[in-house]
Formats: sequence, C-alpha cells, structure tokens
Amino acid sequence: MQLRKLLTASAIAVGLAAQPTIAQDITLEFVVWNYSLETVQDNVAKFEAENPGIKVNVTDYAWPDYNDSLILRIRGNTPTDVVYGGQDWLPAWGAAGFIAPLDSVAPAGAIDELTKDIAGFALTDVTYDGKVYGLPYYSDTISFIYNKKILEDNGIPVPTTWEEVTAAAEKLKAGGMDKPIIYEYDQELPNFYDAFVAQSYGRGAEMFDADLNPLFADPGNGAYKQLQWLADAWSKGLVQPDSHESTIIPAMNTGNHAFTVVFTYVLAALNDAATQPLAGQFAIAPMPGETHSTLGFAKSYVITAKTAADPARAEAAWKFVNFMAGKPYTVAKRWAVEKGLGFGQLPLFEDQDVITAWGKWADVAALGKQASIAKAGTYTEFSSVWSAYFRPLLAQAMVGETPVDEVMKAGAQRWTELKQQFASR
Amino acid sequence: MWTINRYPGAWLLPALLPVILLTVYPIGHALWTSLHEVMILFPGEPFVGLKNYQRVIVGDYFGVALRNSLVFTLIAAPSVVVFGTLIALFLQKRFFGSQVLRSVVLLPWVLPGAISAVLWVWVFHPSFGFLNGLMIDLGVIDTPIGWLTNPRTALGAVIVAHVWTQIPFAVVLMMAALSTINGETLEAAAIDCRSAWKRFRYVILPEIKSMIVVLLVYNALTAFTSYDIVYAMTGGGPGTATTLLSFQIWRESFSMYDFGAGSAVAFIVVLISAMLIVAITRALPSDLFAGE
Repeated sequence: MQLRKLLTASAIAVGLAAQPTIAQDITLEFVVWNYSLETVQDNVAKFEAENPGIKVNVTDYAWPDYNDSLILRIRGNTPTDVVYGGQDWLPAWGAAGFIAPLDSVAPAGAIDELTKDIAGFALTDVTYDGKVYGLPYYSDTISFIYNKKILEDNGIPVPTTWEEVTAAAEKLKAGGMDKPIIYEYDQELPNFYDAFVAQSYGRGAEMFDADLNPLFADPGNGAYKQLQWLADAWSKGLVQPDSHESTIIPAMNTGNHAFTVVFTYVLAALNDAATQPLAGQFAIAPMPGETHSTLGFAKSYVITAKTAADPARAEAAWKFVNFMAGKPYTVAKRWAVEKGLGFGQLPLFEDQDVITAWGKWADVAALGKQASIAKAGTYTEFSSVWSAYFRPLLAQAMVGETPVDEVMKAGAQRWTELKQQFASR
Repeated sequence: MWTINRYPGAWLLPALLPVILLTVYPIGHALWTSLHEVMILFPGEPFVGLKNYQRVIVGDYFGVALRNSLVFTLIAAPSVVVFGTLIALFLQKRFFGSQVLRSVVLLPWVLPGAISAVLWVWVFHPSFGFLNGLMIDLGVIDTPIGWLTNPRTALGAVIVAHVWTQIPFAVVLMMAALSTINGETLEAAAIDCRSAWKRFRYVILPEIKSMIVVLLVYNALTAFTSYDIVYAMTGGGPGTATTLLSFQIWRESFSMYDFGAGSAVAFIVVLISAMLIVAITRALPSDLFAGE
C-alpha cells in the first residue's frame, strides 16, 4: 500500500515536472541606459505583478556607450525585446530594420489614441518614415539656467540675448568671477550637438530647409552666429568647459559660475536642498535670442523588429510599453514627480501632483511656456553619423583650433555627401 | 604509435586552436572588413579595396590623432617603466610599514579605468578639484587652472592619470625581476662599490634588462591603444587635444556605423604597434629574444 502511494506520488511529481511551459511564460529583455536603475527595476516589478506570466530582465549600459552597445547586441543576435530609444538614433535603427513600428504590435487604434496626447516635438522624435516607433519614456527641453542670487547681487538683469549674456559674463569676470559660463563640452556625446542646436533655435535659426539642405554654413544663419559667439566667449576666457552635467551640478553650486545650458531636468538636481549648498538659487530663463525657442526631444520605449515578428513576444512587449508609457501615464508621472524628468504626455502638465513637485525646484509656468515653443531637431537615417562627424568640428571651432567658417563649410559638405550616399542605397 | 616526433602538428593543435580561434580569426575578419564597405545601415558588403584606408588617412582627424597617440605613448610608456622601477627598488628595502606600503601601491591596479578617470577628474577639476585647491592654498596660483579643459595641458593631465593606473603592474613585475638577483652578488657589489648609481648601472640593470624591455613593449602597446581613461576624462577634447587613434576606431565603427573604416584604422594601429615593438627591441637589445 505504502509502495503504491509512493509510486503514485512520484508519477504525479514527474508528470508535473514534465508539463510544457505555459504559453504566457515569457521573459522580456529590456535594455536601458543606467539612469536611476532602482526606479526602473521598481517599475518593472509593478508591471510583473500586474501581468503574471511576463517577466522582464533589465540590462543597462552607460549612457556614452549605449548606442554602440545596443548595435552590438542586435548585430550579435542577443535576445532584445524592448529598448530605450533616442531621437537621434531612431531613424537609423528604423532604416537598418532593428526596430518595428508600434502599430505592428499594438491593437488597432491604440497608437492613434495615445499619440493625441503627445507633445508635437516629442511625436516628431518618435516618428520615422511616417510611422510611430516609440512612446515617450521622457521628453524634455534644453534650458538656459542662471544663478538668481549672483545676478541680483551684481545688479545684472536676466539676459535675453546672447550679446547680453556676454556683457553679463564680462561684468562678472571683471568683478572676480573667473569663468562665469560653465558649458557641457564632450564632443563624443550627442547632447553636445543638441545644446548647440537649442542655442541656435533661440536665435530663430533653421539648420536645414524643407528638402534637408544645410543652411547653417551661411554667415547670416543663427547657427553660424551662435558658433561664432561661442568661439568669442571662449577666447575672452568667459567659458569653463565641463565634460558632464554630473560635475556641472556641483560646480554651479560652488558659486563660481552664473550661467549654463543643460537639459532642463538638471535644474531639479541644482535646486535639490538635500544635496546642494546653493539650492534655490537657480532658475531657467527663456533661451537667449530673438525667438527664445529651444530644442525639445523625446527618449522613448521601442520594440525590436525581431520581437515584433514573434506574436507572443510582441503581445507581451506591447503590454510592457503600454504600461510604461501609456494611459494613465503612471510611470511617466512617477519620473516627473520623483526625478524631475520631463514628459511628452501633455495631460500631465495639468496633474496637480506634478505641478506641486515641480514647483519645489522650478517655475512651472515658465517650463510650460518653454515647452510650448520648443522645436524638434532634424533627424534622418544619417544624422547621427553626421553628428558624430560634426561634433568634433564644433569642439575645434569653440576652442579656436579651426575657424568657424571652415567648420560650417565642412559640416555642410559632409551632410550633403551623406544625403547623396544614403539616397543612392 | 602517437609520438611527438611522428605527429608534431597534432600535438600542437590544443595550443594552436585557441590561438587560431581567438587571435588569427578575429584579425583575419578585421582585415577582410577593412577591405569591404561594411555599413550596418546598408545591405551588402561590397569589396572596396584600400578605399577605407584612403578615406581615414586623408580624413580630418587622422593626422592629429596619430600625433597625439604617438606623443601619449612616447611619454607614458617610459614614465611607467622609470617610476615602476624606482618604486620597486624602494619597496625592496625592508622598513617599518613596508608590507602595508606594498599593498597601497597596488591600489590603482584594482580600480577599473572609468573609476580612475572619475577620480582624476575630481583631482584636476577647475571648480572643486583637489590640485587647484592645493595650489591656491599654497599661493602657487591665484586662479584655478583648467588642466583638462585647456588644450595645452589636457594631454599632459590624461597622461598623468594613465601612468598612475599602469605603475602598479610595472612595480609587481620589476619586484619579481629584482628578487631573482643573487643576494651574494648584491652583497659583493655593496662592498666593492659605494656608489648606488654605479651598483644599479653595472650590477642590477643587466639583470633586469629583459624585464625592462617586456615592460616597455607592454606599456607602449597599452598606451598606444589607451581608450577608457582618456575617453572618460576628456572625450578626446578640448577640440582635438586628447583625440587618440583608438577613438577613431570607435567613432568610425559605432558613431558613424562604418565598420569598414573602423577596421582600417584598427589595422593601421596594429601595424604601428608592430613597428613600435621592433623599434623597442632593436633599441634595447636583451637576451629576451635570444632563441630567435
């Protein structure tokens, strides 16, 4: 009798162990850059709790290495389902067939419904070849940030043009501040070019015409003038370059600098009373220039083409992307409230929790106004290739190694070459 | 009967296979890639001959990157060997705390390049860096120096950081070499010659010459292909002040998606590295390659 029970129990146990994995047991591979991983993991845990049968494995890379690490992953056929996408890489990834339009994985009408809520520049940034490839993870602008106290103490009004920035910086330098402007300067980072475009937009510049012909090599163009301005400010000893925002934050908090141009979310860190001695002294001003426009951009959740081709994985991946970026925008709101990240989902601008949280470190009305006049950048299949070529040239012009005219002409020529090369393939 | 004499090739296979798989194949593939247009955004990989080499050599950055890489190597490699040897000679002496000091000297070795870079950025930073603070406190300077942001000082600053990371390995190898010198020889030299320099020149140096050549070759290659610490400290800037050839490999391959051009730069680096090895071994003959 005992033996029969034992055999029966063993048979049940073996039978259970031999059962095939249930259909919905899927582990998604989610690739991110390593910003605030604990929040990412917590968001993932919440998704897993709401979606039994779907697990998400998070892999992170450092921001400067993200694009090349991801390309190697996909080229090496490493399983990858959902990734963080950048506006500057998205067209190239789309052209290479790495990623899939979201309407190929989402239920009919879902993407149209969600895109109604997305800010114009953010929607442009997640769209390639007329199709939406991503939903915003965060969306932000590039801001001109100044130290209110330093300007007040020195009787300097908030500059509204770049020429006024020069005058203010020269006055501060004459008063003993060695480098009034601190500038994020790393030619290997895409945001080095983005910050330059944001400043040019402030002057009302267009970098390219409607047919994607370069306009910036014209000395009358705002971008040309802005590069000249940067080179002049550099030669006058007004600018301290710094390789990353993470060191600009403590540097601004030494009180040795009055102005910087960085992602808007950096303002939250600058004004963080828990960690920064001069918290509360920093504010954004409209980007100097005639139009005060700036660059708006969106980072997004993107699904790989290989995943989109597998119906079961595609369904799970869409559920995950929709959880992270879809209605009711819980995750986007969390990033905004806890970390000060901007968002592309417009209804969040009216969310009281967001308004309260942002009010601690910024003038929310000023942020909203800036977002309303921000413009998207020009991104094509070859723009990230061109940007990698052009950024070191920009860097050379700023420090006076190469004349502005030469840099702008070389940049325009390379853009035209790439445009022709890509058109012929 | 399986004997080494009858089937020498077969006996060598276990050693040769990993070399073929891990060295010969990747190098061969890189050479193949450098002769083709391999752009990940385009389908197809057509043969283009030496076009990739021509494009990178006449490009805007090659000349300055080559010059920076050579300057970096010519300063960094001998510096590592000289400081490594001096520190090893010092640490060979027994004194109170010498064991602790030996461990401390090895610390930079265990730090990843990126961490070392962050550390040195905080040393050199103009606004809150340790070095500027110290120099201002001592009255040496009135205003901070932008060590990493001034094109005239940036390359020197990153060389200092690179040398700092490489010295521990040199110390370990040099101490190993010094420990093989016969103690009686050193005692006899100490009796016969009072000059420490002469004892080093005529007794110690001949015994460690092979190790010096090894270290010079190793450090020349390490410096010539250095990437992580320089990338993390300056991103190749300001301007092109610290742009190295290794940057070009990365930039062509991953920023411009052109693996053909990236492989061409990599092959040029391989050729120059080979020339450096030959130059060092010719300039400093030792019994290291006596069996050749």
